[in-house]
Parts: sequence; structure tokens; C-alpha cells
Amino acid sequence: MEITEHMLRTGSRGFRDDLARAVEDLRRSGQGLGLAWSLAWHDVVSRYRGSILGPFWITLSMAVMVLGIGFLYAELQNIPLATTLPFVALGIVFWGLISQTIIEGCESFVQASGMLSQTALPMLTFVWRTVLRNLAALLHHMVIVVAVIVGFGLWRTLNLPLALAGLVLVLLNISWMCLLTAIISARFRDIPQIVMSIMQFSMFMTPVFWQPGARVGMMDAVLTWNPFFHMLDAIRAPLMGLAPEASTFPVLIGMALIGWAVAFGLFTVTRRRIVHYL
Amino acid sequence: MSPRAHSPPARPDQAFISVRGLTLRFPVYGYDAKSLKKHLARVAVGGRLEQARHGSTTVAAVTGLDLELRAGDRLGLIGHNGSGKTTLLRALSGAYEPDDGQIEVRGKIAPLLDLSLGIDPTATGLENIRLRGRIAGLSARQVDDKMDEIAAFTGLGPFLAMPLKTYSSGMQARLAFAVATAVDADVLLMDEWIAVGDADFQKIAHQRLLGLVERAGILVLASHDLDLIRLYCNKVMRMDAGVGSEVVSVKALDELLARPSVR
Repeated sequence: MEITEHMLRTGSRGFRDDLARAVEDLRRSGQGLGLAWSLAWHDVVSRYRGSILGPFWITLSMAVMVLGIGFLYAELQNIPLATTLPFVALGIVFWGLISQTIIEGCESFVQASGMLSQTALPMLTFVWRTVLRNLAALLHHMVIVVAVIVGFGLWRTLNLPLALAGLVLVLLNISWMCLLTAIISARFRDIPQIVMSIMQFSMFMTPVFWQPGARVGMMDAVLTWNPFFHMLDAIRAPLMGLAPEASTFPVLIGMALIGWAVAFGLFTVTRRRIVHYL
Repeated sequence: MSPRAHSPPARPDQAFISVRGLTLRFPVYGYDAKSLKKHLARVAVGGRLEQARHGSTTVAAVTGLDLELRAGDRLGLIGHNGSGKTTLLRALSGAYEPDDGQIEVRGKIAPLLDLSLGIDPTATGLENIRLRGRIAGLSARQVDDKMDEIAAFTGLGPFLAMPLKTYSSGMQARLAFAVATAVDADVLLMDEWIAVGDADFQKIAHQRLLGLVERAGILVLASHDLDLIRLYCNKVMRMDAGVGSEVVSVKALDELLARPSVR
């Protein structure tokens, strides 16, 4: 019987070699995506074990929040409910995906310390686990999205291919953020708190609930320099039958390229050490 | 003398382990140093940064270790606590990357270092079998194929549909043992002989482990129990403060132990 499995580990032979090994980790984690999915699904199932509604509890509380905030902001901003409610609903659902993935990214490696220190599983598997877990949660929340699309007749105008392209770009971006926070939080245990504050702050600085007004002064700055605005815009605008900002897609593509280069570079340099951080 | 000198060349269809000049250093990130504030504070003070760079504490867990094993070798690792046995096993499992030297392993590796790995007490027995099997590298299909055999071996019957937290610790150990040993591996790594459970179960656990060892080309077993090593191993290596002795036949175990230190 031919033995195919072969492992060769050596001391560091410089950046190029480390890079090749990081790419190898990426390749193996891609092959093992089934495992990442099993782990992610197990997380979802075990989190809601014994509850009747299960993951739909979040969907339900999100729906309540959508209604409450939708009505409130329609009143506050003097905008018809038919515009505000879909806007807020889509905003909250996709904001949830973005912020939860980044916040939970902090725990990706820390939680997996047992497995990382005893097995040769690729490290990136645990980043995919976090991303896939949040994707699974998003699937549950699609109930809200579909309800809004049907209820407000958005299906007549929506641009589904563009929205899906937006979703893919958002996923590409939040995965490098997830990797980055995973590495840094493993080393410095204060990072999760900082990330949490940043995400909380960003939620208010990003048009999740409120409609962006005329782009002058402060408003322009908040929209132009806020990566999260572009992320939301790429998915929400096409779903609402609107054109995303001209800068949105270029910004997301550029951010994905630079972000992945930085995050993967850090991964390359720290990969050997991460297991010792834990 | 290098242990490689008297090893026969490896055949392409057989498992082997080849470790050369392996050195593993652990940087010590104290709980305090893990905080960002401390790190920033250190950066702010120029002089101490230097010290932190060059004087940071590292523990050399394994130093310059050579090891060659071929199919049929059952190596017992002995040594005091903290002598680097577990670290070596973890490096062989592929979890720790060498700082120097190299590790080459051909064959499927099954690290049985910690039975509770990947076990979720809130999940049912069946779910745990599935999850643990996936972590051990089985595909969903392979787990399904092995499910009946594993379930039968645990002897837990209807309890498998119950959450693990309702199990006694012995029952949990049975389950963990059954899944962990359901893999087909060429290289088995064990931190202490893991036969567990009550007397009856221990007997079949022993048999199962022996079967596993028989099928696997190579066993590396770290243990403090010398009788166990005499029973299951044909070679021994002693470790002292991260330095490994040469590999000797298990018959020379007493001689090896009589040495003051391998260094």
C-alpha cells in the first residue's frame, strides 16, 4: 500500500519559505472546508441546544428591532416608512454579519487552542469556521430579508447579481479582518475589547439605521472614509433597486486586495508562533 | 553516533519518522506581557525595548534532537516531568513548528495526546463521535461508515443519544477512547497509555490499542510507567531537559536509567 501522507517541517528558512508554507496552509484549509463547515454548524447547533426557536431567536429579536427602529427613524427623519423599513431591515441584517464576524474573529484561534496545539489541522480552517458560522446565521436572517423584499415590492427593482457580487466582496473583506483580529487577539488579550468598542462606535457612524443625507462636510467624510459604509452599500443598494455609490465597488476591491496582503503577510510572519501565543 | 547510521533505508511503502537537529524554543508570553498596555509601555521606554528584544525569556523545550524510526519501531519516551516528551510528541503531530532542524514523517499521523480533544459535553454521544471523527481527519462519509462500529465499541447503547454531560466520567472516557482509536494510522503518538474505564473495558481497550499499534507502522509512547514501556515498546529514548539520548533497545532500559544524565 502506497503511503501518500507526508509531513516535512523545518526551521524558518526565510520569508519566501514561510510564505510558501502559509499558502500551503491556505490550500489545505480550502480542501478541509467541509471540516470548517462541520465545526461552524456544530457551533450554531450547540449554541441554541434545547431552545425551541433555536437560531431564529436572533432573527426574531432582530425583526423586533427592525420594526421598532424602522418606525422610530421614519418618524424622526420624516421619511416614509416604505423607504425606511427596508433600509433599516437590510442594514441591521448585514451589519450583523459584518460586525459579528469581526468580533468573533478575535476568538477564532483562542478557542481552538486545544486543536491547534495537538493536531496539524490548517490554522485558517478556524478562520473559515468563524466566517461560515456567521454565514449560517445570515441564512436564518434571510427570513427578514425575503419578507422585506416581498412585503415592500423590492423584487420588482432589485439587482440580485450585483447584490451577490457585493456580498462576495464583503465576505472577502470581513475574512481578512477576521484573520487579522484572530492573530492579534491571540497575542494581546486586550484586542477583543478594543475591537468590540470599534464595532460599536462604527455602528453609529455608519448609516445602518439613519439615511445618509447630502454629502457635505462631516457627512461626506463619514461616508467616504468609512469602510463599513461601502460594505453595507454594496449589498443594500442593489437589493433596494438603487445604484451603489460609484466609489463603493472600487473601494471594496482595493480594500480586499490590500487587506488580504496585510493580513496574510502577518499570518506568514507569525504562523509558527501563533500556537505559542495561545 | 547518529542513530541513522544503523537504520536500514526506508521503503517507499512504509512509514518513517526522521528528526534531525530538532530544536523547539517557547517564547514565554507572561500573562502580564500579553496585555497591550505593557507592550506599549515597553515601547515607550527606549532602553527596555532593547532588553525586551534580546533578553526576552525563551524556554528551550527540545534541543538538538535526532530520531530515526522505521515501520515496526515502538518507541518509549521516558524522562522527568518537563523533559520535553509531550513537546516532542506535539512537534511530531505537526502542531509545533521546529525552530531549528527538521521533522519528516511519512504516513498518516494519529495523535492520541488528549482524549478530551474536541469533545463537547453539551452535545450527544453520536454528535461527539461525528465531530471528533471529523477533527481526526475522517470525511463525513468515513465517519458514517465507522459509526456502527464505534457505537458498538463504546457499549453505551441508548445513552449515545443523550448529551455527554449526563454520562459518568467513565462513560465519557469510553466514548472518547472509542472515537479517538477509530482511526487508521501509520504513526501513533500517545502521551501515556490511554486505556481507560473499568476493569472490563480496560481489557478490551488494551486489545483495541494493541490492534491499532499492530496496524500502525510506528508507535511513540511517552510514559512514566516503565512496565508499560517494557510491555509495548521495543525501543526507548530518554529525555533530559530537552536533550534526547540515543535510541536503544528496550532491553537496555535499566542501563539507560542508570546513567546520571544523557548529556
